[in-house]
Amino acid sequence: MRQVDSIGGRDLRDMFAAATGWLEKSAPEIDALNVFPVPDGDTGTNMMLTMRSCIEEAYRAPDNSVSAVADYMARGALIGARGNSGVILSQFWRGLAKGMAHKDTLDLSDLVLAFKEAAIMARNGLTNPVEGTIITVASDIAAAVSENGYSGQGQNVVTLMKDVVSAAGASVARTPSLLPVLREAGVVDAGGQGLYTIMEGAMRHLAGEMKEYEFKKPQIIVGDILTRLPKTLSVADEEAYGYCTELVIVGKGLDQKKIRKRLEKKGQSLIVVGDDERVRIHIHSLDPGSVIHYATAHLGTLHQVSIRNMDEQHLDFMEMQKERLPAGDIGIVAVVAGDGLADVFTSLGVSAIVTGGQTMNPSTKDILQAVEHVASDNIIILPNNKNIVATAEQVQTLTNKRVAVIPTKAVPQGVAALLAFDYEANFDSNLELMTRAIGQVKSIEIVRASRAAKIGGWEIKKKQPMGFVDGDLVAVADKLDEVLFKVLSLVETGQASVLPIYYGEGIEQEEAERVSAAVREQYPHLEVEVVRGGQPHYSYLVSVE
Amino acid sequence: MLKIVTDSLSDITSGLAGELGISVVPVYVRFGEKVYRDRVEITTEEFYRRLTHEATLPTTTQPTPSDFAEVYNKLAKETNEILVVTLSSKLSGTYQSAVHAKEMVEGDVRIEVIDSQTVVMGLGVIVISVARAAQAGASLEEAVALVHGAKPRSHAIMSFDTLKYLAKGGRIGRAQGLLGSMLSVKPILTIKDGEISPVTRVRSRAAGIDYLYNFVAGFPRIEELAVEHATTPDEAAALVERLGALYPKEKIHPANVSPVIGTYVGPHVLSVSVLAAP
Repeated sequence: MRQVDSIGGRDLRDMFAAATGWLEKSAPEIDALNVFPVPDGDTGTNMMLTMRSCIEEAYRAPDNSVSAVADYMARGALIGARGNSGVILSQFWRGLAKGMAHKDTLDLSDLVLAFKEAAIMARNGLTNPVEGTIITVASDIAAAVSENGYSGQGQNVVTLMKDVVSAAGASVARTPSLLPVLREAGVVDAGGQGLYTIMEGAMRHLAGEMKEYEFKKPQIIVGDILTRLPKTLSVADEEAYGYCTELVIVGKGLDQKKIRKRLEKKGQSLIVVGDDERVRIHIHSLDPGSVIHYATAHLGTLHQVSIRNMDEQHLDFMEMQKERLPAGDIGIVAVVAGDGLADVFTSLGVSAIVTGGQTMNPSTKDILQAVEHVASDNIIILPNNKNIVATAEQVQTLTNKRVAVIPTKAVPQGVAALLAFDYEANFDSNLELMTRAIGQVKSIEIVRASRAAKIGGWEIKKKQPMGFVDGDLVAVADKLDEVLFKVLSLVETGQASVLPIYYGEGIEQEEAERVSAAVREQYPHLEVEVVRGGQPHYSYLVSVE
Repeated sequence: MLKIVTDSLSDITSGLAGELGISVVPVYVRFGEKVYRDRVEITTEEFYRRLTHEATLPTTTQPTPSDFAEVYNKLAKETNEILVVTLSSKLSGTYQSAVHAKEMVEGDVRIEVIDSQTVVMGLGVIVISVARAAQAGASLEEAVALVHGAKPRSHAIMSFDTLKYLAKGGRIGRAQGLLGSMLSVKPILTIKDGEISPVTRVRSRAAGIDYLYNFVAGFPRIEELAVEHATTPDEAAALVERLGALYPKEKIHPANVSPVIGTYVGPHVLSVSVLAAP
């Protein structure tokens, strides 16, 4: 590994020129990380364009001192900043430049200071900093390098940059655990990923490794928690996006606080950054004219004005989302009650969940809304309850999308159908495969009677546990586990290999574990899985697969 | 006579390479700072042992252009026609190296390089087929046409235990939907358009093996068939025995799944590759 003890202005410029090239390679992948429904979405491209402007200015620096070059780079980032992430990145650069002020070259402690200033400045540009984004990654970088101190043997700029990259990577991986919207979309933060990629590019250049990576692409970090597809897409999120408006104002004595205050009411996602002679504004507004008017009438001259229709961007985004669907443009909508079961279904690739089940049947409208919100024109619905099958079938006549209902009458059938989904197969073949899979499981439901009743020779007391197999009542007993064992003894389990037990709302985990252990003991050839279903009504849902 | 060259990620065994006159250029496998030439300096057993026991995941690196040039120059002494078939350019830069190496060859030799868009024995069966044609006297043009014709007929499918390695390597791509399942599922993957792509998932290892069997049974006529494993020879042998009902089992090519796939899918992979008859 190369050893670098200090860096000058030219080194700084070359490092980040290489980093810009490195970022460019993965800009489309970073764009694809954007979370629905964030409207101005091309994070990767925006950061890349911001960096390009940053590098262009670097060449204009009057001398080769690191402070001069950094100053010009920060200015380049500011005038070229695009999008939310680009503006925050420009703030990051402003902080770096501040930390590098009055320096000819940088040693390790100078770099530690620069990263600290960068993290602070990135955060200051925002009225409402949100954790789990690029600003968290910037702070984690600063914390990691300041903790190390770099006084020991063998430390040099390359090892410091390696530390920066690994801190950034770990921080990006944590973003889904900090920001629920990322968790639900199953992605890491795009801006954070962009910053990581820039730092990685700079480090590889400095370490002399770029040649080795000539044919490689930057890696997209994988979140360190379960990745999932969107859980429920709520119609309430649908609001007008308006126009993403960006401009630079050049004037004298510009007061950012005052500008921010004036613009706050004009829209959302407002960012105001810069100095008293040059201010960059980013805002999502339904009335960009009023923003422009305010700026020209009261502030100064306008530069690099950009107004983009975000509803159009949103449509493009929806198109892009289609590529992330299971395959062949097929989306799956499932009706499920219970947060645990919703997790199970989303983890298996369902595009949207409609909440509902035995005690609360969803309306046709509920299912229709989910169908319309999935970014796919071909939809398969899993009703997972016999009372919902007909409701789901109604949807077919109410939408222009191609909709098919797999008549799953219980949760285990829904899981079996979902598992059989074939990414290589087309719509019709998948219907066939999934429908066939329903017949290959037995669904056991254990539930307490809601009232006293006489059914088919059984005399059932209120709250007494009953056991059903594929909808038929087959056993009644005084205890839940007793019913379960009775039912299992009546079901053919010889051919089965897996037995998941989904325990419901009123059941403690310890109890479910105890019951499952007993099942395991009696049926040693079965792989018994205990999963928290959280479903109301059914104490246990058991699938014999 | 036309000479055939491929890379070690075709999984072609040295015995078969010798028999069919195929030159195999090894890729590099890197564990931390140490670099090994695939199946020359590190055995498959050793690779998978370290894959499961070491904290840092190995990476694979393409052969350099000069690695290919060395082979080309050696072959140029006996032939004036060379056909190179590499693994998918989307999985490795090997194809680029093989192309760049053409400029480093002296003398009057025509070299064609083709990106197979597949890997493991999916690549292997294409190479076997064209090597047989070369032995039968095919020209470079005929062989190029044959490889292009064979690409869509080659199908590789694999069953394995865990997506852990796929996730760690950050190379999930379209398999993202298979990730993070709350139930225990065994993914089935294929190579599609040069990339690793999900097919479906099954609930048990036995069901995975059934899936591989049924996949082969779906082909009316088979030209070449290969069964590969990483660390489970008994399982592979049992599958070969079963496949004997569909295809003469002595003609099934046994092989070890290459490290590049190993870094994706971990040690318990079982893979079947079919070259469907035209």
